[in-house]
Amino acid sequence: MSQFLAKEGVKNLHKPGEKLITTHCCYCGMQCGMHIRVNEKSGKVVGVEPRYDWPVTNGKMCPKGVTAYQTIEHEDRILKPLIKRNGKLVEASWKEALDLIEKNFKKLQKESGKDAVAVFGGVSMTNEKCYLVGKYARVGLGTRFIDYNGRFCMSSAAGGFIRTLGTDRGSTLPWPELEHTDCFFIAGSNTAECHPTSIQWLWKAKDKGAKLIVADPRETPTARVADVHLDLKPGTDSALANGMLHIIVKEGYVDEEYVSERCNNYEELKKTIEKFTPEYTSQLTGVAVEKIIKAAHIFGMSPRSVVMFARGVEQQTKGVDNVSLYTTMALLRGQIGKFASGVATFTGQGNGQGGREHGQKADLLPGYRKLTDPAAVEYVSSVWGIDPSEMPKPGVSAYEMFDEIEQGNIRGMHVICSNPAVSAPNLEHIWKGFEKLDFLVVSDFFLSETAQFADVVLPATTWAEDDGTTTNLEGRVIRIRKIREPLGESQPDWKILSMIAERMGRGQFFPYNNASEIFEEFRLASKGGKADYYGITWDRIDREDGVFWPCPSKDHPGTPTMFTESFGTPDGKANLACIEWQEAGETPTNQFPLFLTTGRVVFHYLSGNQTRRVNFLYEQCPEPYAEIHPALASQYNIHDGEQVKLVSPRSHMVVKTRITKAIRKDTVFVPYHWGKELAVNQLTSDHLDPYSRMPEFKVCSLKIEKL
Amino acid sequence: MNKIMYLEFERCIGCRACQAACRECGDHDAKERNYVEYVDFTESRQTYPMLCMQCKDPACARVCPANAIQITDEGVVLSAMEEKCIGCRNCTFGCPFGIPKFDFEENKMYKCDMCYDRSKHDIAPMCASVCPSDAIRFIDFDEMQQLRRKRSQMNLVEGKKPQEGNKWDYVPEFFGVYTD
Repeated sequence: MSQFLAKEGVKNLHKPGEKLITTHCCYCGMQCGMHIRVNEKSGKVVGVEPRYDWPVTNGKMCPKGVTAYQTIEHEDRILKPLIKRNGKLVEASWKEALDLIEKNFKKLQKESGKDAVAVFGGVSMTNEKCYLVGKYARVGLGTRFIDYNGRFCMSSAAGGFIRTLGTDRGSTLPWPELEHTDCFFIAGSNTAECHPTSIQWLWKAKDKGAKLIVADPRETPTARVADVHLDLKPGTDSALANGMLHIIVKEGYVDEEYVSERCNNYEELKKTIEKFTPEYTSQLTGVAVEKIIKAAHIFGMSPRSVVMFARGVEQQTKGVDNVSLYTTMALLRGQIGKFASGVATFTGQGNGQGGREHGQKADLLPGYRKLTDPAAVEYVSSVWGIDPSEMPKPGVSAYEMFDEIEQGNIRGMHVICSNPAVSAPNLEHIWKGFEKLDFLVVSDFFLSETAQFADVVLPATTWAEDDGTTTNLEGRVIRIRKIREPLGESQPDWKILSMIAERMGRGQFFPYNNASEIFEEFRLASKGGKADYYGITWDRIDREDGVFWPCPSKDHPGTPTMFTESFGTPDGKANLACIEWQEAGETPTNQFPLFLTTGRVVFHYLSGNQTRRVNFLYEQCPEPYAEIHPALASQYNIHDGEQVKLVSPRSHMVVKTRITKAIRKDTVFVPYHWGKELAVNQLTSDHLDPYSRMPEFKVCSLKIEKL
Repeated sequence: MNKIMYLEFERCIGCRACQAACRECGDHDAKERNYVEYVDFTESRQTYPMLCMQCKDPACARVCPANAIQITDEGVVLSAMEEKCIGCRNCTFGCPFGIPKFDFEENKMYKCDMCYDRSKHDIAPMCASVCPSDAIRFIDFDEMQQLRRKRSQMNLVEGKKPQEGNKWDYVPEFFGVYTD
């Protein structure tokens, strides 16, 4: 009865009357390979089938991946444009919606200049769309105010990598090599819950005897199986990293030849870390001396090690410093640019890597070119067909755009594929900003919390209704395939952007008929930049199971392992980080004696706009909760499941408790996937990293009040 | 079918992808037939998957007065046959693992059938296919034997042994469900 699609011993169940369309998951940076089952007659999506032949994930999927297809034809989809009338969003035609956008954008720009309209992008989109959002803002609208939600997600990693290694690619090695690694040092990443399909590589390596060191204030499912769990105080990563560097140098674990040939600042580094003895480090971080020593010994003695980190270390005011210091650990051991070793950050959003390379950042143009570099402006202008003088100057970061709204500099905004009303810090400031805007347009396929503030909501398509490419957390460019025609009157983002640009009188710069035409232009725009995609074609991606950037020409094999010969810095040498430890932006006080830290649960993705609507995922975790240590709970006389009030210097919220020993006694953890009164980001602070402008979601002060 | 389901509890990360995937099987009517439990959330995040053991001499089938629970040639214990099931729910009480469930709306019993439409062709059941941490695997009998031997040796080397007082730290790490 069944037929099989066979590929070298790998079989898939292929039911009669169905076709399998090969694509990738729409959620996190793992971009797990999968087949979507489609009924041949009706064209309806009926389910999912694992993709056993995808080398990164081998058919593995997390619960979000398994249920991802359920959002495609979900009953909550917005299928017609919505316009706010008398405070209510009501259905309208595309013409009405576009007329209104044209009228208001033109009016605002006439009154207050081109920069009065801002663009807020996202990176859960294809490379083509991300690229086009940058062009739309700068050419279509002519505004300098553009930034994106990757600012909340990846920018510190980017800043740290650029400062230390010269080029920002999230992983210096391909994932399947992890199987041969001897030691994993994972800091601030709840890998098992946030990137579950990575765990198979850790287990495979562990079966061969690899060691695992995890630095995290919580005993996450990843930390639970670690050989050493460094349960540090939130916000003390740079102290811990300096302490590790101290032991690595003192015990002679440094690869002297590698460091002298390929790194700068070694002598200065030795002076900086001199005082970070295990005792001093322990005093700053709260981690036991023995654990620090044991971790450094394991790391120092491993022939092949990988240093990995994620938002736990990046979403801090010292995020860039943390990334640089942890990267320095790998450099001292001479691990970058070699087989099965290196440094990597776990990309949070689906296209967090590709999305930050192509001009959605306030100061960047496609291919990682800087807006402040006249040659870069000239090149990109020539690709876009505009005069270099027309290119807007750099704008401000995502959170700072809301300061500009407050000051009246930004009066209109177009939010694309993002939900900052849940995901930004210090939410009351954000909500006030949205209310203050004269005109807000949101493109989305569900009515997100942000869309509820909008004057016009445009129905966009899901990831399954258009072709394109994304770049996964390894730096591998992969293909997303169209599974079905857009539902209702929804339109792909690139079409929406082109239509608005046309209304703004810039239609000649957006002549696209399909996503592949955008990819061709985007290849050219990235040519010669640090993130060079010029040699990558859709055809090659299909043939080669993805292509790693940089890939400067069609005959170039791509770059799975970065920095084998030299680094991306001007002199080709890595810059070892010499950084003093500093406190987090906000630390506990008498009035607010605890740390609050936020993060994900395995069942939800970012602001939960998609996953909260999927029955299975919602049932597993319908509301946020506060994880509290039993010792802290008894101090406040709180019981498991009781409602408590969490108060930070900015706001308060009421949540249920979950009492567990798997967290520090001075720290409370709350997941951030919910909006409005359930949004923990009401409490988080607006301290920003001075370099990356990333907010400090992971540390703020807190008090608990019993209800 | 020459393969077995093999569970390694310690690897479970509690993501419940196995449950979500179980709902995806063609005839499962979007209801999962496997479960994931915390050992004790107040102590640790250790979770474990609970699947049907596909017993050689299954209690559920034994206690069924209507003989409605069939066992395939490969040893897979199926859900009760609708035409025979009398809805007495003996199977739900008889199973020591709490696997068979009774659907009161549909008036029928359902349980894990090891994704029989997949596993009879040696394709991994959905739960084992997707399990991101390899806590559930669909592997050859010989491979299972090797893994068990290796883990026993590793436990001896690492001195892992359950003791009174640290019962929360200990969960059984391995067992195979096999149907030879």
